[in-house]
Amino acid sequence: MFEPKIKISKELYARVKKFAELAGYSSVDEFVAHALEKEVKALEGSDSEEEIKKKLQGLGYIS
Amino acid sequence: MKQGWRLWAMIWIGLILGLGFSACKKKNSETGKRVIVLGIDGMDLRLLKQLLAEGTMPHFQRLIQEGGFRPLGTSIPPESPVAWSNFITGMNPGRHGIYDFIHRDPQKKLDLYLSTSRTVDPPESKSFTLGDYVIWLAGGKVELLRDQRPFWDYLAERGIPVTVYKIPAEFPPEAGKARVFSGMGTPDILGTYGTFSYYTDNPPANAKEVSGGDVYPTFPKNGVAEMVLHGPKNTFKLDPKKPYLRSGRGKQRNYAKAELKFRVYLDPENAAAKIEIGDAELVLNQGEWSGWVPIEFELVPRLLHLPGMVRFYLQEVRPDFKLYVSPINLDPLDPALPLSNPADYAEELGEAVGRFYTQGISEDNKARSHNILNDDEYWQQSQDVLAESWKLYHYHLDHFDRGLLFFYFSALDLGQHMFWRLHDPTSPAWDAEASARLGDPIRRLYFQMDEVLATALQRVDPNTTLIVMSDHGFAPFNRAFQLNSWLLDNGYLYLRDRSKRQETEYFDHVDWGRTRAYGLGINGLYLNLYGREWSGIFMPGAEKEELLRELKQKLEAVVDPATGEHPIKVVYRADQVYQGPHVEKVAPDLIMGYAYGWRASWETTLGEFPQGWFSDNKEAWSGDHCIAAEEVPGVLVTNRQIQAESPTLMDLGPSILKEFGIEPPEQMEGKPVF
Repeated sequence: MFEPKIKISKELYARVKKFAELAGYSSVDEFVAHALEKEVKALEGSDSEEEIKKKLQGLGYIS
Repeated sequence: MKQGWRLWAMIWIGLILGLGFSACKKKNSETGKRVIVLGIDGMDLRLLKQLLAEGTMPHFQRLIQEGGFRPLGTSIPPESPVAWSNFITGMNPGRHGIYDFIHRDPQKKLDLYLSTSRTVDPPESKSFTLGDYVIWLAGGKVELLRDQRPFWDYLAERGIPVTVYKIPAEFPPEAGKARVFSGMGTPDILGTYGTFSYYTDNPPANAKEVSGGDVYPTFPKNGVAEMVLHGPKNTFKLDPKKPYLRSGRGKQRNYAKAELKFRVYLDPENAAAKIEIGDAELVLNQGEWSGWVPIEFELVPRLLHLPGMVRFYLQEVRPDFKLYVSPINLDPLDPALPLSNPADYAEELGEAVGRFYTQGISEDNKARSHNILNDDEYWQQSQDVLAESWKLYHYHLDHFDRGLLFFYFSALDLGQHMFWRLHDPTSPAWDAEASARLGDPIRRLYFQMDEVLATALQRVDPNTTLIVMSDHGFAPFNRAFQLNSWLLDNGYLYLRDRSKRQETEYFDHVDWGRTRAYGLGINGLYLNLYGREWSGIFMPGAEKEELLRELKQKLEAVVDPATGEHPIKVVYRADQVYQGPHVEKVAPDLIMGYAYGWRASWETTLGEFPQGWFSDNKEAWSGDHCIAAEEVPGVLVTNRQIQAESPTLMDLGPSILKEFGIEPPEQMEGKPVF
């Protein structure tokens, strides 16, 4: 089984490598996976969009 | 013989204690300090003055003559959760952290939530699955998000009895020595502000657009209708048809929904029906409301049930079948979420007066707004809410000896929201026919509040301070301003594809990488600041300062060509009107102070971008107060002389502490007014 690979520029890789070491990550891969996971979590939010809408729209002030 | 002796001893001890208690009670009622606060949500200064001038509010007139009457400065913005939090804490939103009905987590894309409380689910790692069932090793919790101690804590910790009934922005009620029952902000069983169910074989054309409720097409066969009452997601059971939304690593559970089947038998001859739900059976005539019916959702067979309660309204039997079921309220006799502190206070009330509405906003305005209930039906339902309040009001007054009693009335607030169009002929939603039939419901509600005051006045003795207060006033909601459309058309906000403008909802086509400002909620305007917002694009500092100045200036200069009016009276800067630790993190950067007669449009509050910036509001929700604070002060009427010239909501907590001889703590911003 091959793990998926993602292309990034050499410049970005160099910066990521530097900060991964500074932040104490064991590898660049670990740092990148952690950063992406954090970002995806931020986009997902905690409730589904439909659930959030339903909660907000029960309020008379909102249509 | 021994048994008989015990019985007599118990009777004697009971009599002695009882007599002692009566004597003590009498002593307290004569010498104990008492403060009664009637919190009348939305009582308006202009309307009260007008009715006083007409001589139609005799008990208010009497109290004003004996004591004092002032406008009561409200919060910025004058939204109920914000205003009541000012009252509860004696502090401004920068300290208590409530700025709007709706807040967002700036670090997450559009993670919006109702501002005063939040449910925290336990992590799935704290559970395991057994077939379709989920076994939890940790429980979830509901958190009150308002910061700071309520003023009544300082009374309760000194042994002064405190009872606070249906206070908004206090769900879940905090632990402490005060007896507190939570009000506005208390959800229904689905965790919403209220979701009704409507079963009919003739669904209205707007069925899919109905918010605050669900319409279920239901076709009775041979005079029997089979229906399902939909509960919350059942986190103890996976959906057997599709247990996971995503598979593999990071798979996401798909929980089943709690459901309760029920059945309605239509009377073949009469306009009546029998409803069978759970263990209950009831017969309703067409046009009749039921009382509260307790229900249970089975989460784990024979082991775990979720209790709630509903009311039924049999709107029509034939030719169409129409059955309205109220939002599933938490049952005070068996609350699934905490309604009161201590927990048995809710049960005590339920046992004393019977079940009653516990959902924060009990009047079903959404059912009226979407024409599920008509004006007469909505009026009846809201009067039922008030009738329950009356029973609870009498119960509390009857059991009040000394200390603080706060009692809340919602009727005027919701009545003015929904019936301004029957009160004011200049309303774009003016309904002459309904007005002729129902009269002016707003005036009737003010007169009912005068009766409420009359009842309190009968209980006032020389040791009683009586305070009648409202959190804000009211105004017509005639014209609406499209804030987000204005930001889009003026280059402060961008869409990824402008051709999708009309179909954008919930900000879904916004180009966050270019957007500098966006409107959210009813009065909030946020800058897309780097370091704070998940997609922030510009740095705080000079650039931010310039944008704040520019937006304020341009928005205050906007003119509606149809009326020549300025829709925005004032744009407040958060850094000038708030002080405290929450300002930087959560607060809007600018707060829209709409002019009298105006408000944020329906579309703009959750990120829609219709063409044009101005429109008439023709909705049933025809009165509002989410405008410039100076336009909608509340009222303060009391039997004490008021020394302060311009009291505000923040002053009342400190004033009440002072009535009991307690110096308000330094961190409270309000000052005693008497």
